[in-house]
Amino acid sequence: MIARDRNWLLVFFVCVALVAIYPFFADGYRLTVIRDALIFGLFAASLDFFWGRTGILCFGHAAFFGIGGYVMARVMLDVAIPFAGLLGLVGAVVGAAFVAGIIGYFLFFGGIRGSYFTIVTLAMCVICQQAAISWSSVTGGDSGLIGIPPLEFDSGRLHLDLGQDLPSYIFVAGVVTLIVFVLWSISRGRWGTVLVAIQDNEVRAAALGHNAPLRLLATFVLSAAIAGLAGALYVCMAGLVAPDLAGLLLSTEVIVWVAVGGRGTLLGPVLGAFFILRAQQVISSLNPSLWPLVLGCVFVVIVFLLPDGILSIFARLKALLRAGSKAP
Amino acid sequence: MDFLLTTFLNAMTLISILLLVGLGLAISFGLMNVTNLAHGDFVTVGAFAVYFVQSIGGSFWLGLAAATVAGAAVGFILEFAIIRHLYSRPVSTVLATWGVSLILQQVLELTFGLGAKPVTPPVDGTFDLIFTAYPAYRLILIAIALMILLAVVLLIRKTSFGLDIRTVIQNREMAEGVGINTRRTYAIAFSFGAAIAGLAGGLIAPLAIVLPQMGVNYLANAFFVVIVGGAGSIGGLVAGSVFVGGFTSVLDYQISPSLAQAVVLLAAIVAVRLRPNGLLNGVSR
Repeated sequence: MIARDRNWLLVFFVCVALVAIYPFFADGYRLTVIRDALIFGLFAASLDFFWGRTGILCFGHAAFFGIGGYVMARVMLDVAIPFAGLLGLVGAVVGAAFVAGIIGYFLFFGGIRGSYFTIVTLAMCVICQQAAISWSSVTGGDSGLIGIPPLEFDSGRLHLDLGQDLPSYIFVAGVVTLIVFVLWSISRGRWGTVLVAIQDNEVRAAALGHNAPLRLLATFVLSAAIAGLAGALYVCMAGLVAPDLAGLLLSTEVIVWVAVGGRGTLLGPVLGAFFILRAQQVISSLNPSLWPLVLGCVFVVIVFLLPDGILSIFARLKALLRAGSKAP
Repeated sequence: MDFLLTTFLNAMTLISILLLVGLGLAISFGLMNVTNLAHGDFVTVGAFAVYFVQSIGGSFWLGLAAATVAGAAVGFILEFAIIRHLYSRPVSTVLATWGVSLILQQVLELTFGLGAKPVTPPVDGTFDLIFTAYPAYRLILIAIALMILLAVVLLIRKTSFGLDIRTVIQNREMAEGVGINTRRTYAIAFSFGAAIAGLAGGLIAPLAIVLPQMGVNYLANAFFVVIVGGAGSIGGLVAGSVFVGGFTSVLDYQISPSLAQAVVLLAAIVAVRLRPNGLLNGVSR
């Protein structure tokens, strides 16, 4: 096992342990705050899974989050069968994956990469938000849909009511932990290696027999599906869905979470979501219109000072110390 | 007949707007390979410049001049402070310019306050075109757009500065070798694109809802125009504008605007799949 993997697992288990013992110290409200942050962390990890390994930036990831959210909301409000929640989760994942599949097919097989892809996904997000606002018979328009019942699984013997704080926290923590671990396993294995090869030199990777467009498409669809799942989870935990969830601002924020946390680390983005959401709360409580301004500055600062994320500060300090000790 | 003509002129108005906004983008994105997500905000700055000049008693035409200057100034500062350092890092350019876009929007909102800003057109009323009457201002807008397009084509094809730009874009090292100041050429080209976008914003202002966030819609559409048409050619730019603008205005009558947008996006994506190098195959540069 190489050192990088060992370090990652170490940080991963520390995080899982912290999440696991947190309920013993926190009240219900705090639990729900961390639960929601975990859901956004999952969302950030889904973007990182695509952006981090392929180097292609998706600027409209909130569209998939929103699609998942709206599908979930509609299913929970309209369908009255046992296991409606499960149907909603599956529907949300499939819905987001379907849209990503269509867009990704045309773009990747059309040879669209890099900045072009970024732009098209940005436009997709703008349109998704507009659709959510104007298609009011289904989406509830500007104000969205409220009163979405919480998830509930009931199979006779086993009864799981996720309307309560602790069960929902445990459920979300379990799902997020599992998915982040699976994504990491995928991206450090053969799949991720091939993606890195495609990023480095697509022509060469294709010459070695890899179907680059198909590989990129599959990664994009998986990434969107997880974003859809995160959206669905968020909607039935929060009990409401609004056009903002498919909007450009959320797309922007998730990029910041990933960029601050460190692209390509999967865990970094989750931590990034935690810290930036906290900062957002503090700053917004001072003045609501200050937040976009700060967000803009964060973008510029990241690009110029911390291109590898906050975690890279430690690596840089290490390098500095090493350089210092070598000097006579 | 009059319905057809009105639809045609509506399409022409939209195509002109897309042409103007896309022109600056064709220079920065198509030629210089800089993905500038703050391009839409040049449009916003231009629109606000017209509003500001009108609100202190100036005429629309003075406002239009101010819009051009304001666009150029913001573009120059952006190039000098940020983009210049990131020419070799495309993703970083995307992130940094998006940050600047957010900052510009918020600064405009803090300066001018919430709510849409009124801008009055320089001429009122309609112009009689035998079959139908059409708003005079829109006809002026179409005329100005065509004139600017012609001027830009002449500038790039016929002047020595245009030759410099084409040289730098084809081979930066070689251009430096023959004594062209590539940094300056890039800075001027970028500011020039921003100036046209600012001018476009000023022209759009009487027809649009002037808000700090208005830029993003033009941004997305302008990028489509450049991508569909094939980056880097004026002919492609025209083809892309006709494609996106024509499609949108025909659909606008049949279905709701946001559905029309979605259909146009889908059509644009399909067009890119079928013609990856642009509608005109991107041969004419």
